[in-house]
Amino acid sequence: MSEAKATLEATALVDVRDLVVRFPVGRGRFIRPVDHVSFSLQPGEVLALVGESGSGKSTIGKALVRMIEPSAGEIWVAGRDVAHIRGRELKAYRKDAQMVFQDPFGSLNPTRTIEQHLAFPVRKYRRDGQGRVSDLIDELLAKVGLTPVSETRRKYPHELSGGQRQRVAIARALAVNPKFIVADEPISMLDVSIRAGILKLMNELREEMSIAFLYITHDLASARYIGNRIMVLYGGKVMETAPSAELIRHPVHPYTRLLFAATPGTRHQGPLPETSNRPPNLLEGRVGCPFADRCPLVADVCRSQEPPLVEVAPGHYAACHHPG
Amino acid sequence: MAETRDPVLQIEDLSVAYVTNTGLVHAVSDVNLTVHRGEIVGLVGESGSGKSTMAYTIMRLLRGDAVVTKGRVRVLGQDVYALSEKELRAFRWSKMSMVFQSAMSALNPVMTVETQIVDTILAHRPDLSRQAARERAKELLDLVRIDQKHLQSYPHELSGGMRQRVVIAIAIALNPALVIMDEPTTALDVVVQRSILDEIRRIQEQVGFAILFVSHDFSLVAELASRVAIMYAGRIVELTPSHLLKLSERHHPYTEGLLKAIPQLTADEVTIQGIGGYPPDLQDLPPGCAFHPRCPYAMDVCKRVRPSQVLAGEKVLECHLFNEAEVNAHV
Ligand SMILES: Nc1ncnc2c1ncn2[C@@H]1O[C@H](COP(=O)(O)OP(=O)(O)OP(=O)(O)O)[C@@H](O)[C@H]1O
Ligand SMILES: Nc1ncnc2c1ncn2[C@@H]1O[C@H](COP(=O)(O)OP(=O)(O)O)[C@@H](O)[C@H]1O
Ligand code: SF4
Ligand code: SF4
Ligand SMILES: [Mg+2]
Ligand SMILES: [Mg+2]
Repeated sequence: MSEAKATLEATALVDVRDLVVRFPVGRGRFIRPVDHVSFSLQPGEVLALVGESGSGKSTIGKALVRMIEPSAGEIWVAGRDVAHIRGRELKAYRKDAQMVFQDPFGSLNPTRTIEQHLAFPVRKYRRDGQGRVSDLIDELLAKVGLTPVSETRRKYPHELSGGQRQRVAIARALAVNPKFIVADEPISMLDVSIRAGILKLMNELREEMSIAFLYITHDLASARYIGNRIMVLYGGKVMETAPSAELIRHPVHPYTRLLFAATPGTRHQGPLPETSNRPPNLLEGRVGCPFADRCPLVADVCRSQEPPLVEVAPGHYAACHHPG
Repeated sequence: MAETRDPVLQIEDLSVAYVTNTGLVHAVSDVNLTVHRGEIVGLVGESGSGKSTMAYTIMRLLRGDAVVTKGRVRVLGQDVYALSEKELRAFRWSKMSMVFQSAMSALNPVMTVETQIVDTILAHRPDLSRQAARERAKELLDLVRIDQKHLQSYPHELSGGMRQRVVIAIAIALNPALVIMDEPTTALDVVVQRSILDEIRRIQEQVGFAILFVSHDFSLVAELASRVAIMYAGRIVELTPSHLLKLSERHHPYTEGLLKAIPQLTADEVTIQGIGGYPPDLQDLPPGCAFHPRCPYAMDVCKRVRPSQVLAGEKVLECHLFNEAEVNAHV
C-alpha cells in the first residue's frame, strides 16, 4: 500500500473492506448482490454509487447503516468495526449513520405533523435539554429550506409536494446530527425543477457541516455533479471507481462506457452496441466477469476468470481484462 | 420516411377539466399544437402539468369525470369527437394509437404475447382473418427485434425492455399514422431506455408514423424529437425546434429554468440551479401568467394579464417578455 493511501485510510470516517451480502434464494442457493466491495468516505466527502437496478446499490447502503447485517467484511466507522454490532451499540450507531430513501411519499407517517416527525429523533438522540427541542426543529427546517418554519411545522405530509417531503426526510436524518447519510436515489422520483434544489442542499450540508454522503443513483450526470468520487457497480461488484472528473473524462470499463453512451444528452449519438438487456447474474459460484454476457469486448478469458480491480491511473481503478 | 408538412394531428384551442367535488381542475388550457406526418414532437412537463390528460384527450379515452370544455382535436383531418362510437372503435388503433404510461401493466399477465397482439388486431379490424393477424404478429416481433419464439411467452417471462417492445409492437400493429407515447421508458434503466429509444427511432424511420412523445425528461425528448412543446400548469408555454433548446437561445423563463436545472454529463462546468417554489394548484391557478410566483423576471403585468401566444422566429411562446412587435423587428 502506498504511503498516501495509508494516511488517507487512517483519517477516513468510513472504511468498508471486502463487504459481502448474501441472500438465500431457495434450494440451498444464494445470491450475492454485494460481492467484496471496498470503499472509504472522508468527512464531507460524497461517494456516488452508480449502477442499474439490481446491481446491489441499495443493499450496500442498507448494510452501511446497518439496516441489514453483512455476511462478511468490515465496516469501520470512526475507528470501530460496526459490521456485527447489536442492541445498544447498534442504537448508538444510528446517531452516526442515517439513510434517506427514494420515495418521499412512503417514508413519512401520514398521521403525524412535520413537527412530530422531527421531535422524535431530536428528543431521542440529542441530550441538550428539552427546552431546545423546539428551537432545533426550527433550525432543521430552516436548514433544509422549508420556510416559513412555523407554517411547515403544523403541516401533514400530504400537504407537501414531493420535493418538500424529501426535504423533511433530510431534516429528519439531520436531526440526530449524523456523521454521514446514505441517500438512496433521493431525487429520482422528483420533478426536474425540484431535483437541483435537493442536490444543492446536499452540497451545502457537506460543505457547511462536513457531513459525508453515499449518494446512490442510476444517473451518471447527477453523480458527477455531486460526487467527489464515482463508483460504478454491476452484478454486485465494483467495475470502475475514480475521482468524478477523471471517471467522466477517461472511462475505461466497457460497462461505464455503455452507461455513458446511454445517458440522454451526451451528444454520443448513434446506436448502442448490441446488448442483451439481461439483468446480471447474482448467483453465488458465478465464474468470470459479471458483465461478460453483455460486453461488446468479451473474450474467452472473461468467461473463465474474474477480472481483479486494478489501478489503471492514480486513484482510478477498473475490473476488466481489456480496459479501453 | 421523410417528414412532410402534411398535418396528422391538429389540436386547436383545447381545454380539458376534471370535475371534482371541490371544483374544476383545469388540466389542459388553450392548447394549440400540430404534428406533421412522420414527425416526432416531444411534450415535456412536470408531474401534474397535464401531459397524460392531453394524450387521453387526443385518443378520446378520457374518463367520465373529465370534460373537454373547449377546442377541437383532428387526426388526419377528422374531428375525433365527431365520430360515432362505432366509427371511433375502427379509427382508434388503425389511425391513432397509444403506448400508455403504465406500460408494464398494459399487458395481460395471463395471455401470451401472440394472443395479445392478435386480439388487438382483430378487435379493431374484424375483417381480417385470425391467420392474417398471426402473420402480422410475427412481422411485428421482427420489427421490434424480439425472437419469434417469444410469441408463446407470457409477460412475466420477458424483461422490462422486452415487454416495452411488445407494447410498442401492439401500438403499431395496424399501421397508425399517429402514435402517442406517454412516458414509454420512464420505468426502465438508462441502458434499456436507450435501446428502446433507438428502436423507436429506427422503426419510426422505417414505417413513417408520427409520434407525440410525452416525457418529463428534457434531455431525452430534445434528442428524439424535432420539436418540443413545454407544458406548465396545463398550457404549452413554449414550442421550439429541438436544436434551439440550449441556454444560448432566448427561451420562456420556465424553459430556461429547466435547462439550468439539469446537470450536464460532459459540460466543462457543472453548475445547476433549481426553480424556486412549486407548481401551482390547477384548481386555483395564479392570475395572469401561471408561472409568475416562480419567475425571476416577473413584472407587474404578469400578475394581472395572461400572456398570449407570440411567434418568435421558429419558437412559439407565451410570455410578456416576448412582445410581438419587438420580436418581429428582430426576425
Ligand atoms: N380523474 C381525475 N380527477 C381529478 N383530477 C385529475 C384526474 N386525473 C388527473 N387529474 C389532475 O389533472 C392534472 C393533470 O394530470 P395529468 O395526469 O394529465 O398530468 P401529467 O402531466 O401526465 O403528470 P405525470 O407526469 O405525473 O404523469 C393534475 O393536477 C392531476 O392531479
Ligand atoms: N432482503 C432481500 N432478500 C433477498 N434478496 C434481496 C434482498 N434485498 C435485495 N435483494 C436482491 O439483491 C439484488 C440487489 O438489490 P438492490 O441492492 O436493491 O439493488 P439496487 O439498489 O442496485 O437496485 C436484487 O436482485 C434484489 O432482488
Ligand atoms: S472483463 Fe471482459 S467481459 Fe468483462 S468488461 Fe472487461 S472485456 Fe468485458
Ligand atoms: S409572463 Fe411574466 S411571469 Fe410569466 S414567464 Fe413571462 S416574465 Fe415570467
Ligand atoms: Mg435501489
Ligand atoms: Mg402522466
